[in-house]
Amino acid sequence: MPDAAQAVHNPIQINPETCVRCDLCDWICPGDLIYKDESKKDELPVIAYPDECWYCGLCQSICPTDAITVVFPEQMVHNQTDVVTLLGKVVE
Amino acid sequence: MTQDWNTIDTDVLVVGGGVAGSMAAIPALEAGLKVVICEKGKVLDHCGSIGCGVDHYLTVMDTGPEWDTPAFLIKHVPELTDYIVDMAVAGRVIEEMPRIFRKIESFGVDFRDPKLGTYYRLRSFGLPGTYHINFDGTDFKKHIGERVRKGKASVLMRTMVVQLLVRDNRAYGALAFNFRTGEWYAIRARAVVLAAGDVNRLSLNASGLAFDSWHFPYNTGDAQAMGYHAGATLANMESVETTLTPKGFSVQGLNALVSLGAYFVNKSGERFMFRYDPKGENARRAVLADAVIHEYLLGNGPIYLDCRHLLPEMLDHMAHTLQVDRYTLPAFYAQKGVNFREELIEISIAELSIRRSGVYFRGSGLAVDTNGETSIEALFAAGDCATVSGGIAGAAVLGHIAGEGVVQRVRASNGALPEIDPQMVAAARAESAAHLERAAGIGWKQFEHATQQTVTDYVGVRRTDKGLRLALDTLRALAKKEPLIKADDLHGLMRVHESTNIRLNAEIMATASLARTETRTGSAHWRLDYPQPDEKNWRKFVLVERGQDGPATRTLSTDRPLADAFARNAVTA
Repeated sequence: MPDAAQAVHNPIQINPETCVRCDLCDWICPGDLIYKDESKKDELPVIAYPDECWYCGLCQSICPTDAITVVFPEQMVHNQTDVVTLLGKVVE
Repeated sequence: MTQDWNTIDTDVLVVGGGVAGSMAAIPALEAGLKVVICEKGKVLDHCGSIGCGVDHYLTVMDTGPEWDTPAFLIKHVPELTDYIVDMAVAGRVIEEMPRIFRKIESFGVDFRDPKLGTYYRLRSFGLPGTYHINFDGTDFKKHIGERVRKGKASVLMRTMVVQLLVRDNRAYGALAFNFRTGEWYAIRARAVVLAAGDVNRLSLNASGLAFDSWHFPYNTGDAQAMGYHAGATLANMESVETTLTPKGFSVQGLNALVSLGAYFVNKSGERFMFRYDPKGENARRAVLADAVIHEYLLGNGPIYLDCRHLLPEMLDHMAHTLQVDRYTLPAFYAQKGVNFREELIEISIAELSIRRSGVYFRGSGLAVDTNGETSIEALFAAGDCATVSGGIAGAAVLGHIAGEGVVQRVRASNGALPEIDPQMVAAARAESAAHLERAAGIGWKQFEHATQQTVTDYVGVRRTDKGLRLALDTLRALAKKEPLIKADDLHGLMRVHESTNIRLNAEIMATASLARTETRTGSAHWRLDYPQPDEKNWRKFVLVERGQDGPATRTLSTDRPLADAFARNAVTA
């Protein structure tokens, strides 16, 4: 896997000790990010597209064993963006 | 030629299983029609705009007082929308509000406050009465989804509709594919309802994460783009919407905060909203966002949310409802280590989107008549992709109206539907396959980022003729690169379609913005070169349709309903 892909923050952290390998998180994810192959009973759900997460937490809310924690990245929690940069360039 | 797609024949095809789509399906199912719903997510149990529950519902209830009558609210709509509104459709939506509210209650949704035993109604967003019911609507959509299931609608999940089937200005279905299995569908229907929501992922935001958006990032203007390609009329596309969110997390919930008494203060601690509107924090969303934009431009940022003055019971109520709209907001505050009861919360404007520009009853999207039908016969639209939009309630009511319109349209239609043209399906499939087979090319994220940067810089908040033309040049150049976008897998192919839909919506928005040579509703359409509203010349809709060389505009007086601009009405008149 390329380095850039590895650097992507994983917002959906799954506790392998408590995850029961059901597919409810896959089922509920509105963004089609979480994949759980029903035929592979021992495998954890895969967060296939972590940078497309909306941080809605539906996966966390439906998990029957509270095995999922949604973790926000640093740029969301301690955001340093100058809001004025979002307000357009003046072209006259 | 081998037919390697599934043909489905139905009475009604609904695109999008959110509130509008589900509410449109219900009258059709009640009338015994066959309904197929295509849904990119699996949101039948959740709202399509935000994926969660609902914490407020806007309705007239007709309980007795004059302010609670449809006539009273209707009277105020022109002023609430800065006079750019289709009163024929908005009027019908408001007239139908009490009936649809009671119907949703009959599904089992309990709008009452458990402590009060009655409705907890609040005034917010500049409305002339306490029309917002504040309630725990965690299960709101589950009850509506349950109705759809009981009616035995066929729901195709993880399925994206990519092209409408239209012949002689009449819709007869759509092409779609399942992005988990790769199966293609040619769906023939006597009527189609577009309810695929608003346009997000359109500009940059504070976090820099494209999918960190106020509303669902998976709503990407698919309905508007498909309608445009099919020849439908769009309106109000120049109006842009943003909201106020905790900085770094584009999250909804502003209504709950301001209606419960939270303030906004600038870096000097000044409560500034009254400088912008006599209603202060109870002003319309567009005004709240506009005020914060101006404070930032004046150098008065950071701006903060202040809840410290509120009574403990109000703070408890606030804490309880915070997670209804977005389940993870309490976790965000916890991870950030702030306590909104005792500390100021820094806020930002969210990224820009196309929806209803912070103004109830003035939607941006597909123009509809009083039955929810677009300029294309048998093609309906409701919710945030239609020209009358009003949050969850607007989606529910116009969705239901469209569903009833569909029943009339299907019953009036006779004769066989056109056959599916195999060459047309093959062409659509080949176009998609080319993205998947491309070994090298542009990634959809890179393509989309170029759209977002262009919108942020030149189409967003501060618009000028020169900047908009620059943006159009860039967006048109981007369109030429669309065949070069590569998809790594079926999921990526779905995103490629979304990215191209976002770009088209951005081009439509820039085109409409260029046409409207005035400023209207503050920064919802702020032209630096025409900084004032022009009431003499611009009480008009800007209509956008597909022209010879891309989006073309014309105008229509707001004295007339948008349906007066529909060619199908001219034919029958």
